[in-house]
Amino acid sequence: MEKTRPSLLPGLAAVGAGAVFAVALLTAEQQWAVGALIAGAALASLAAWRFGLARAIGASVDAHEGVLNAAVIAAVLAVTAWFYEDHFPLLMMATVLLSATTCIGLTVQFGYAGMVNFAGASFYGVGAYTAAVVVKYTAVPHLLAIPLGGLAAAALGSLLILPMLRTKGHYTAVVTIAFAILMKTFLEVNDTLGGPQGMKIRNVTVFGWKPNTALEFGGVELSHYVVYVVAALALLVLAFGLTRRMERSWVGLALDTVRIDETAAACFGHDIARWKIVAFTWGNALAGMAGALYALMVGFIAPNNFTFGDSLILVSIILLGGIGNLWGAMLAAALVVILPEKFQIIQEYRFLLYAGLVMLILLFRPQGLLPRTLRAYVPGRA
Amino acid sequence: MLAPTPLLDVAGLTRRFGGLVALNRVDFDVGTGEVVGLIGPNGSGKTTFFNVVTGIYAADEGRVVFDGRDITSWTPQAVYEAGIVRTFQRSRLCLPLSIFDNVMIGNHKRLNRGLWFNLMRRKAFCDAYEAAREEARVILGTFHPDLARRMDEAVAAFPMIQRRRIEICRALIAHPKLLLLDEPSAGMTHEETRQLMDDILEVRDRVDPSLAIVIIEHEMGVIERITDRCVVLNFGQKIAEGVYREVAGDRQVQEAYLGVE
Amino acid sequence: MDIGLFGQYVVNGVMLGMMYALVAVGFTLFFGVLDVIKFSHGDVLMVGTFAGLATYLGLQAAGVASPLVQVIGVTAMAVGSMALLGALIARYLVMPLRSAPPLNTLLITLMLGTVLREGVRLFYPEGANPKPFPRLLPADSIAFGSFTVRADSAILLLAGLAVIVALNLVINRTKLGLAIRAVAQDEETARCMGINFTLIVLVTFAIGSGVAAFAGVMNGLYYNEINFGMGLLLGVAGFSAAIIGGLGNIYGAILGGFLFAALQTIGAVALPFASAYKDVFAYAVVIAIMAWRPSGLIAEKTSERV
Repeated sequence: MEKTRPSLLPGLAAVGAGAVFAVALLTAEQQWAVGALIAGAALASLAAWRFGLARAIGASVDAHEGVLNAAVIAAVLAVTAWFYEDHFPLLMMATVLLSATTCIGLTVQFGYAGMVNFAGASFYGVGAYTAAVVVKYTAVPHLLAIPLGGLAAAALGSLLILPMLRTKGHYTAVVTIAFAILMKTFLEVNDTLGGPQGMKIRNVTVFGWKPNTALEFGGVELSHYVVYVVAALALLVLAFGLTRRMERSWVGLALDTVRIDETAAACFGHDIARWKIVAFTWGNALAGMAGALYALMVGFIAPNNFTFGDSLILVSIILLGGIGNLWGAMLAAALVVILPEKFQIIQEYRFLLYAGLVMLILLFRPQGLLPRTLRAYVPGRA
Repeated sequence: MLAPTPLLDVAGLTRRFGGLVALNRVDFDVGTGEVVGLIGPNGSGKTTFFNVVTGIYAADEGRVVFDGRDITSWTPQAVYEAGIVRTFQRSRLCLPLSIFDNVMIGNHKRLNRGLWFNLMRRKAFCDAYEAAREEARVILGTFHPDLARRMDEAVAAFPMIQRRRIEICRALIAHPKLLLLDEPSAGMTHEETRQLMDDILEVRDRVDPSLAIVIIEHEMGVIERITDRCVVLNFGQKIAEGVYREVAGDRQVQEAYLGVE
Repeated sequence: MDIGLFGQYVVNGVMLGMMYALVAVGFTLFFGVLDVIKFSHGDVLMVGTFAGLATYLGLQAAGVASPLVQVIGVTAMAVGSMALLGALIARYLVMPLRSAPPLNTLLITLMLGTVLREGVRLFYPEGANPKPFPRLLPADSIAFGSFTVRADSAILLLAGLAVIVALNLVINRTKLGLAIRAVAQDEETARCMGINFTLIVLVTFAIGSGVAAFAGVMNGLYYNEINFGMGLLLGVAGFSAAIIGGLGNIYGAILGGFLFAALQTIGAVALPFASAYKDVFAYAVVIAIMAWRPSGLIAEKTSERV
């Protein structure tokens, strides 16, 4: 049964439209312009859905995944180039990319292995504080702060592994909630880590070069955030690529099985502890690396950046995007990070709005914006 | 005829839940290639027997020897690796996953689960994947051509009889030595049940005639037709054993089912 | 340490334990009847306390000056309105999600907690700042040898104890309690016996939420200051208490409440490191207890049918 291969065009058009929209949204200053852009995007998505365009895009994405993934990377780089000297849009882009990386980690934990982590922001914070400590107190090369941040988050997470494996359901939830509160309190009272005032990270140096100073490139001055957007993009690509491979392999199948039915999984030889450890560690490592890069970028961190409320926002992103869908998580991360920054009216109300939004989603569309689809182990070779 | 060492040899198996003795010194054996029916009224300990043999519950007393090894109170994982697989009374397929995924769950022990292999050696993985697909297609096809053709669809979309078939494929794909079927006819009509049993026996004869089967079933027609031998449990105790005709005529068995006059 | 200071710590710890126990009892009741966690519980407590404060201000404005009338009015308003809110939450958020994964209920009530918290922060006049809570109880000291207890502390402790005893009587000695226990044990059978399931669930949520509001008022009267974040902290502490005690068991919840308060007090007093680490210590012990007794100290009986 030979089917004609769906065209590449709808997919490319969608990526292009996304890039243009990102530029417009990040440029817009007036509140009415931001509002109009958001409303327009919502209407356009709805129309695309209604008139079958969404399906065409979906088919195109399925058939030309490699090309379109490359196109998305190119689009992000193009938007970065567009804003080459504007700090604020670049900072926001980098923040989105880092949140997306964290949410990919949480998707592995929650979406695949079924371990809901109410301490996502804490692990992000562990990475951030690790980076700060590395820069401030040690002679370790600063670039290593990123893998060390991931390592520290994974190591600290391993302390929770035993209670998480032994408990079920709500009892597991209390373990991560308790950890989130514990971490925040710990950061607030520990003097070495700066207490409530937090830590400054100064003089980051990578191979003798200082990435936090403006750089020149062929006579053009670039914002130093360009470096961080590119670095965050690289981290996200790495996280996405490996997680995708994990999902599309026997590992992904094993994780799903453990989530859906532990008893059946055990009766078919699945080592439940092993798979949960893999998922939890991988997720925390991603959050830790993203947090470390964030700390190097912003140069100042405090306990208030990593509260239980922030962890809840991360969980909301996963639910909003569609549990277990990586693209959904990334899209939702972008929405949730950018909207309150651009739409000042809602900035103050963002926790309230997101919480309300998630309640509506749970009541009326529990599968999220982009529901997860069935596994395609080798795309194109169904 | 002198019986050879049985494949599964259970002796004095006891399991208590608080004050309730769910299994009381049950002796039970199954030979290679044999089909044994496990019958008894509701609550007589049949499913508990499966759960203890497969390691979901630990045994309080007695031992379970399988294929020459003492597997008493092994973990479910180890029991599976040793070659015992089962189906569940309430079909426990992973409904959101595809048919292929569900069948592969049963194949876990033959899949390479190494992280390095799965994440980094994609080329080798693709080859393994193609081979696994072919195998799944063959085994699903023996039950129903539709299942093989539609194996990338979610299990949730299929009716009960197809789900039972998928569940049995999931159990058979790893080439077990012993298959435990827990009430495969639950939720199906007589006709569907008959069909399913024929399929199972046919697949067994074709794939591996030495596969032994223990089946829990309430449909006595099924038991009569497919079993070589029956064991009857009541209140956790074995009250009769033999070919179906004998067992069905046994006075104690009739009392167990109909109540004492 | 001198005996007076020690006594102060004990009174403080027992007071905290009482509040945690009252909150934990709610978690346990809800879990009993519906097998769900209503995480907004702590924030309901907070809203109840603010409702109490508003009542006080209203009474002041209306010229009612008697502290006795005020304290009764404040408590009645807080408990009554939160009982209603609890029942509404059960009816419109928790019950509709009965067929969804249990985690969804936890999430939706977590989010509701955020909505309540942010709602008070943003919309209560100056809600973002801590509010003084009136001192409505007599503050004379009662001396027992070398240690003294303030009268308001003693009254609060006795009142808390009375609520726990009353709750215990309701659950174990009344027809309503019998119905609640029946529903907790087996919903289907309870329905078959003619128990109005929905009504019992709503009443249970009302009772649990009212008790939490009572704990909130206690908190306000004891510390004389409340803020929009108090519910989250009390809620997490109460949840941890219910979990370490073992969900679904009232005695477990009470035990857990006092145990958690004891951990914090020990963390603050007796440990060699700085007292600032008392919460770190308490939550670390909670995590350790979960590793040691994964379904709480007084475990619920569960069995999964395979």
